[in-house]
Amino acid sequence: MSDLSTADQIAMYVGGGLVVLGVVVIGLLDMLLGAGHPVDSEGAIEHAAVVPIDIRAGIILLGLVIWGLVAVYKFAAGSAPSGSTTGQTPSGMDD
Amino acid sequence: MSTQSIRTRFLGTETSFSVSGAWLSYWILLLRLTAGWWMLHAGLDKIWAWPFDASWFVGGAAQGTILAPFVTPFSDGILLAFVNVAVPLGQTAIGLGLILGVLTRTAAFFGAFMMLFFYFINGYGGGWANGMVTGELLGIMVFGTIVALGAGGVLAVDNRLREMELFENTRLRKLLG
Repeated sequence: MSDLSTADQIAMYVGGGLVVLGVVVIGLLDMLLGAGHPVDSEGAIEHAAVVPIDIRAGIILLGLVIWGLVAVYKFAAGSAPSGSTTGQTPSGMDD
Repeated sequence: MSTQSIRTRFLGTETSFSVSGAWLSYWILLLRLTAGWWMLHAGLDKIWAWPFDASWFVGGAAQGTILAPFVTPFSDGILLAFVNVAVPLGQTAIGLGLILGVLTRTAAFFGAFMMLFFYFINGYGGGWANGMVTGELLGIMVFGTIVALGAGGVLAVDNRLREMELFENTRLRKLLG
């Protein structure tokens, strides 16, 4: 059963999608379509990015910010959690 | 050993899997202790070596990064003085919060917030030489895991705080684990 709110869906699909796009998808594109990946004297891979690093970083940043904003929204706008107060039931982010 | 069954609809498909309650509890405790000591150590190091000066970071390292417009205004005056105090105390409070399980979700949220700055500024500073998945990004994911799981129920002070009137059946309970 899924009870995702609109905010949950924005965080999961938009926020998470941007993070995965910036980290994984563009990383894969760089590897497949970019120039060679020589290793410098310190063992670090010299990048020849297909997607400019500022754009890639911006995509990841936007995804992380969306996660953060949704977390704040869920605290500020959500209702008080209900349920046991015996200390055995974490309140969860699902309310 | 208790096993919990997770059944949900996710990405258009029915999803179900089982997880050991004991192993989940154990693992989120280890995540809390590891990430907590990471922050507590960083904070106490700065306090031991007081005064702490963050100007090299917010004024120097942040230059030319994607966060420069938001960070460099904090490089002098009263805003720098605020950062010089907020970073060591914040890291210490986050570390204690995670280790002891006090306001666990809040501590993890601010851990991720703080780590976001370290991720981008250190990443740019190093030219992303080892790719864009760094320790700081994994730190953000660990803190995010703690926020999402509300991982403060295991050997945590939050279990006691939850019984207080301030947190009982109020929105503030979400600040706990």
